Amino acid sequence: MSADPLHALASAGKAKSTRSVLRVVILALIAGAAIASRLFSVIRFESIIHEFDPWFNFRATKYLVAHGFYKFWDWFDDRTWHPLGRVTGGTLYPGLMVTSGVIYHALRALTIPVDIRNICVLLAPGFSGLTAIAAYLLTNEMTTSNSAGLLAAAFMGIAPGYISRSVAGSYDNEAIAIFLLVFTFYLWIKALKQGSMLWGALCALFYGYMVASWGGYAFITCLLPLHAFVLICMGRYSTRLYVSYTTWYALGTLASMQIPFVGFLPVKTSEHMPALGIFGFLQLLAFLDYVRSAIPSRQFQTFLWVFAGGSFGLGLAALAIATSAGFIAPWSGRFYSLWDTGYAKIHIPIIASVSEHQPTAWPAFFFDLNMLIWLFPVGVYLCFQELADQHVFIVVYALFGSYFAGVMVRLMLTLTPVVCVAAAIAVSTLLDIYLTAKSPKPVEGQPADGGDGAAKKAVKSGLKSTSKPLIGVYGLYSKVAIVGALTVYLLLFVLHCTWVTSNAYSSPSVVLASRLPDGSQHIIDDYREAYQWLRQNTREDAKIMSWWDYGYQIGGMADRPTLVDNNTWNNTHIATVGKAMSSREEVSYPIMRQHEVDYVLVVFGGLLGYSGDDINKFLWMVRIAEGIWPDEVSERAFFTPRGEYRVDGDATETMKNSLMYKMSYYNYNKLFPPGQAMDRMRGVRLPEVGPSLSTIEEAFTSENWIIRIYKVKDLDNLGRDHASAAAFDRGHKKKKATKKRGPRLLRVD
Amino acid sequence: MKTSAVFSTFLSLLSLASAASSARDSSTSTTLPATFKPPQVFKNLNLVHVISAEKNYLKESINVLIENIDKAPQDEYFLPFTADQMSRLGGVEVKDRKDATAGLFVAEPVEFDQESDIQYLRIRLPKPLAPGAQQTLGINYYLLKAYSPLPVAIKQEEQQYLTFTFSAYCPSAYTTTKQKTDVKFPSSNIPDYTKLPGSGDIQEFPQKQGSKLTYGPFDEKPAGAVEPVRVRFEFNKPVNHVSRLERDIEVSHWGGNVAFEERYTLYHRGANLSSLFNRVKWQQSQYYQPTTFALKEIKFPLRVGSVDAYYYDVIGNVSTSRFRSNKREALLEIKPRYPVFGGWKYPFTIGWNSDAKNFLRNTATGGFVLNVPFLEGPRQLEGVEYEQVEVRVILPEGAENVKYHTSIPTSSITEAGVQIHKTFLDTIGRTALVIKARNLVDDFRDRELIVSYDYPFMASFRKPLVVFGSAIAVFMSVWAVGNVKLDFETKK
Repeated sequence: MSADPLHALASAGKAKSTRSVLRVVILALIAGAAIASRLFSVIRFESIIHEFDPWFNFRATKYLVAHGFYKFWDWFDDRTWHPLGRVTGGTLYPGLMVTSGVIYHALRALTIPVDIRNICVLLAPGFSGLTAIAAYLLTNEMTTSNSAGLLAAAFMGIAPGYISRSVAGSYDNEAIAIFLLVFTFYLWIKALKQGSMLWGALCALFYGYMVASWGGYAFITCLLPLHAFVLICMGRYSTRLYVSYTTWYALGTLASMQIPFVGFLPVKTSEHMPALGIFGFLQLLAFLDYVRSAIPSRQFQTFLWVFAGGSFGLGLAALAIATSAGFIAPWSGRFYSLWDTGYAKIHIPIIASVSEHQPTAWPAFFFDLNMLIWLFPVGVYLCFQELADQHVFIVVYALFGSYFAGVMVRLMLTLTPVVCVAAAIAVSTLLDIYLTAKSPKPVEGQPADGGDGAAKKAVKSGLKSTSKPLIGVYGLYSKVAIVGALTVYLLLFVLHCTWVTSNAYSSPSVVLASRLPDGSQHIIDDYREAYQWLRQNTREDAKIMSWWDYGYQIGGMADRPTLVDNNTWNNTHIATVGKAMSSREEVSYPIMRQHEVDYVLVVFGGLLGYSGDDINKFLWMVRIAEGIWPDEVSERAFFTPRGEYRVDGDATETMKNSLMYKMSYYNYNKLFPPGQAMDRMRGVRLPEVGPSLSTIEEAFTSENWIIRIYKVKDLDNLGRDHASAAAFDRGHKKKKATKKRGPRLLRVD
Repeated sequence: MKTSAVFSTFLSLLSLASAASSARDSSTSTTLPATFKPPQVFKNLNLVHVISAEKNYLKESINVLIENIDKAPQDEYFLPFTADQMSRLGGVEVKDRKDATAGLFVAEPVEFDQESDIQYLRIRLPKPLAPGAQQTLGINYYLLKAYSPLPVAIKQEEQQYLTFTFSAYCPSAYTTTKQKTDVKFPSSNIPDYTKLPGSGDIQEFPQKQGSKLTYGPFDEKPAGAVEPVRVRFEFNKPVNHVSRLERDIEVSHWGGNVAFEERYTLYHRGANLSSLFNRVKWQQSQYYQPTTFALKEIKFPLRVGSVDAYYYDVIGNVSTSRFRSNKREALLEIKPRYPVFGGWKYPFTIGWNSDAKNFLRNTATGGFVLNVPFLEGPRQLEGVEYEQVEVRVILPEGAENVKYHTSIPTSSITEAGVQIHKTFLDTIGRTALVIKARNLVDDFRDRELIVSYDYPFMASFRKPLVVFGSAIAVFMSVWAVGNVKLDFETKK
């Protein structure tokens, strides 16, 4: 045919060694592309840790590097959750920090002086390269087509759904966890296919690493038993399944229990029960298998029903009893919110207040996965076509992953690998079909030959269906059209991924960028300005009160103790801060005194039009505080009678008197001509007279007013209350007690 | 070439310097008895003491005409300081006012009694002064942490006033026949100063002329006479104090590059804020009244040819900096993240690169000579003082025979030695010359540091060979491991 160059290319790629070299080169390039596309923020800004949670991981890593592993393991952090502290070593997943620490020490041993910060910043891109390779391996287990694996690796490398959590600087558990997730699945499939104990043990090892790294390990803990269960239900129980599952479960559970934070959870909580149940079930099946080989089949039938039904019932009853008796913890709130998306908003506002816990909006799927999302069902369908054990896994994973991704935005992350794998199978199948240069040889005796009639007759005499056994697309135009369209889609996909990564996922959110009129970049660095001020110019043990979002950043950048932080384990403590923020000064002051607060930090976006400020988050503070003190804080009081949330002159009295409102707008009106004060974020004009503060005083305000820090005043020297002391300082006359004086009396002691 | 001639003369000096340093070590170790009193062998015929308070350190110079009143030739002149002053004293340079060729005299603190409040600086005259002979000494020194603000706390828009105490009679271990003390201030706004009864035709000391106060001339005063005087003057500029400066100079022969990095721990020793920082007032004052005692900007004029300047602090890059580098200048202007007021602290790091040929020369004997500034701190109108300075010159791996010479006063250098610094795939580590100095000021910012060293040709190939060798070793071992057959051969 006309595809001579194609032939040449294909034959060049035919030699086995050439192919494997090509494959290695392509994989290396894909890994390089995966890393490079995550470096936008480093190039645009600097090598900096992003957002909120990564700052804690970074701080913990620095502690690990400075003090060694055992100190880290026993780390009690008295600089967070003041005055409670936090048993940090026992309440974190150490995998991420230990990984960075190992890399750090390895490089140090080679006398390469790398800052620990740079390791932390570049860890996620580095591991994303590995994830791409893991996706290649996993896909290769699914299909015989070589291109599928490479496509899956490429998709995995640049899919925005994964990039969102793995750009340079986003030093979070997910950075390494997704690699471990995909690789564990690969090892599981490998173990299952071969029934090999070695692969099962490797799977358990990486599962253990995964448990040490991310709370999302429960996804594996639930998915593998589910896969096993589906296989059993399909009547595919085999010794391969038995060997691989029991090896994985026994070793993996032991490994997971080594992590202090997990401890006995694998045998005590409901989330882990399916794995245990399937483990027991497999033992039963193995036993039954043995029995079946030993006794006649008729007796076996009755034996089976009685035995299986009895043990299943018993197991279920035992589970129910153990749960109600408290041996096994019931499902946690975060877990319930996976089933009922409205659950969190009513019962645990703290979980609902995190934007990444919101249900996913439909456009998000297209935004994060682009064309993969419509190729995904095709891939799953193709898996149905073959439906070997490993294809069942993809189907199960696809179903569960899609459900969870729909419930919670952040779980898009767990869906992305299976989407990439399925889409790669779909694309590669399409390409395999349409890219074959080969056409079947025209069958002898076709009319085109114009051969002798007898032979033609003999052929024609057969059934029509048997005469044309070859099905396929052989037209050149259809091939070119389909392949061309696919190529365009793939190119568009790359464009989309780059665009999304560059625009949506590469902002450090600690540093903001704006453009000057001349087009040059201007960095708005208020966060670090204020944190550095705190770090250098306050007492080392000065306690900072702020909303919990900024806790990790204050700990990491300002190095000061905080009251609450992003590890939201203590709802009451957070509600206390919420109450202090949303109450009147007279109520807040005792709370702050009791917690030894020295400084209060608020984020205010009114001057710059910065949307992530505390006034916009304020209602969550109110809601969380109301959850604990319904009598003292009421959300309704912050809305005007018409139900509006306002900050201007029409704001409610409760709003105007709340500490948060006062701290945000204190002195702000003096920046403007009288009566002209504007809140640019909410686009409203503020009242001419700004709020006044008596129990706290302004200590620092950053250049663009994003961070405002207030110092909590000490008790008044003359024993007055702060309101009257402040009034006296402003030159107001002291209010005379209006009580009428009675007739003077001689004092008789 | 002219420069090479200069270098070769320095080379010859270097050997002298290293010899001198060893001699100095032995001399300082001799401690004098606790009951030591300087022998009254000199007499100050005429003394002029100039105290300059124009910058945020005190620069004092004592010009004194001395006469040997003893019967034997004398070569040790003692200058008294209080123990507190001694710890803040730096940059002592003594020379002969009449004879510029005599060079700098050796001046060093005398160790005798740690408890005593009077400590002495011993000045060794190069030639013993014959009985009855006279000599004019020019003694220059700096006192750090010299002022304290008064009032201690002010509002951010107020003027800052500083105060310090000194003696109207120049402290001396000898009888002084005639003396006067001039005090120079940055402005003529000197609201308070101690008044003394005048003598001769002057009614009252001091006499004020513009921004200068003059105490004296006084008639004969005995040894050790003091007359405390306290002055308070306007100083509406930041009082910059660098408590520690670490300066790394890394020489790379392969890269043809000299990398500089400086880590500052900067304090403002001026008046604290009486009410906390107010951003509104600050933003308004930026327009209406730009002079303030807060530190807003620091300027580093670097050597021409400096490139790739960076500026960061403990939590990352600071974007508020400008760097202009062209043929005429290389000016790094940095702004602290926040205006630094009295009592505040701002540690930061800056660094830059420069082409090695700006600093490094070959010598005829095959060695190398590096000539870099000892100090390249900021050039501020108000001055900068450095309490501790540690200069580290990191030479290439394998450099040997390191000698140095610096034009910083030798009494300021506390420690110098050669260490090993391991970095970037080093095997034996790089030779690092570490010089520690104390109590320096920005007047010394262009004093040079000359380091000579030998760098064998083979040493420069150590690293490529080591890296190549270990890479080969890794490949070989992987290949060897790959060839090991772990499974049992199945017989066919």
